[in-house]
Amino acid sequence: MIAALPRLRRFCQGLVGHVQDGDDLMQSTVERALSRAHQFVPGTRVDSWMFRIARNLHIDRVRAAGRRGQQVPVDELPETMGEDGRATVESRSDLAAAQRALQAVPDDQRAAFLLVVVEGLSYREAADVLEVPVGTIMSRLARARGRIEQVVGRGPGVVQ
Amino acid sequence: MSNVFDERLAAWLDGALSPEEAAAFAQELERDPDLARRAAEWQANDAFLKGALAPLAEAPIDDALLAQMGLAQPAPAPLAANDNQPFWRRHALPLGGAVAASLAALLLLAVPQRGAEPDGLSLALDTTPSLAATRLADGRMIEPTLTVRAADGRWCREFRADGKAALACRTDKGWTIEGEAAATGPSPTDEVRLAAGSDGAGLDAAYRRIRASDPLGQEEEKGLISRGWNRR
Repeated sequence: MIAALPRLRRFCQGLVGHVQDGDDLMQSTVERALSRAHQFVPGTRVDSWMFRIARNLHIDRVRAAGRRGQQVPVDELPETMGEDGRATVESRSDLAAAQRALQAVPDDQRAAFLLVVVEGLSYREAADVLEVPVGTIMSRLARARGRIEQVVGRGPGVVQ
Repeated sequence: MSNVFDERLAAWLDGALSPEEAAAFAQELERDPDLARRAAEWQANDAFLKGALAPLAEAPIDDALLAQMGLAQPAPAPLAANDNQPFWRRHALPLGGAVAASLAALLLLAVPQRGAEPDGLSLALDTTPSLAATRLADGRMIEPTLTVRAADGRWCREFRADGKAALACRTDKGWTIEGEAAATGPSPTDEVRLAAGSDGAGLDAAYRRIRASDPLGQEEEKGLISRGWNRR
C-alpha cells in the first residue's frame, strides 16, 4: 500500500486540483482502504483499488459540497486562457498551468484522463476503477482532450 | 469533427486500437493534414500534462503523514545476540502488570467463532504482515508483531490493539485468543522498544502453554500470508 502512495497522491491532487485538498483526499482514501482491507481482492492491483476508493470519496465530497456541473464555458474561464493568457499560462509553473487545464475538464472525464494518460492504466483497468464500460472511458478521454485543447489552446510544445 | 473521430484519435493516442484499426488510422492521418495537426496537438497536450504532474509522484511521503494515516513502519527491535532468555522475553513489548484488569478487553478482542464470514480481526491477522498496522472497520488499530508456530502445529501471532498485547492462534474458524496482557507502552504505530523493566508475564504463560517456536522470518511469514496460512 505504501508503494502505491506516491501515485495515489498524484491522482488525488489531479482530481481536486490542490495540494492540500489532494493530500486530504489521499489520507481519507488510505483510512478507508485500511478499514476495508478485507474487501481487497488478492491478485488485483492495489493501486487500482485505491484509485477507486479515492474517486468515490471525491464524488461524495463534490456532492456534499453541492457542487454540480463542473463544465465551465470557455469564455468564463479566468483571463489566463485567452490569446494573451497563453503567455501568462506559459510564464507560470507548468504544474499550475496543468492543474488549471485539468480543472476545466469535468470530473468524470478528468478522472479517466488522469488514470490513462498520467497513471498509465489501460482502458480496461480504468473502466474497472471507474466502474463504467470501456466505451465510456474512450468517449471520456476524447472529450477530456477536446476540452483541454480548448483551454490550453496552442499550449507549450505544440507543433504550429 | 464528430465524436467518433475524436474517440478514434484518443484511442490511437492511447494505443487502444487493434493493429488493423491503428494501421487504418495511420493512413487517415497521412491523408488528412487537419487530423494530423489535431493528433499532434493532443499528443503534445498529453505530454505536457503528464510531464507537469510527474513530480507529484516523486515527492517522498514524509513519516509524519504516514503516521497520520496509520501507516508508520516501526523499526524492528534489535535482537540481543547472546541472550538465553526465550525470545518473547528478549524482545517482549513493554507490558503493564495489570493483566487481571483485562477480562473485558479479552472479551472485546475475542474472535467470534460462529458464522462463515470471518471477522475483521481474523482477516487482519490473516493478511497483515508483522510490524504493519491495520485499522479495523470499527476504528481499532491492529498491529501484528510476530508469528510463531505452536507445538500442536497451529500458527499463532502476537499482536497489539487498544494498548494491549495478545497472542492468538489460528484455527479453521478464525483466530482464537490464547493470552492477553495490558501494554502500557507505545501505541501500535509507535516504535517497539526493548523490554527493560516491563512485565510480560501475561503472554509468557501463553507462549509457554502453546510451546511456541522461535518467531518466523519475514519471508516465511509472507509466504504463509500469501498461501492463506497453508503450509504449502
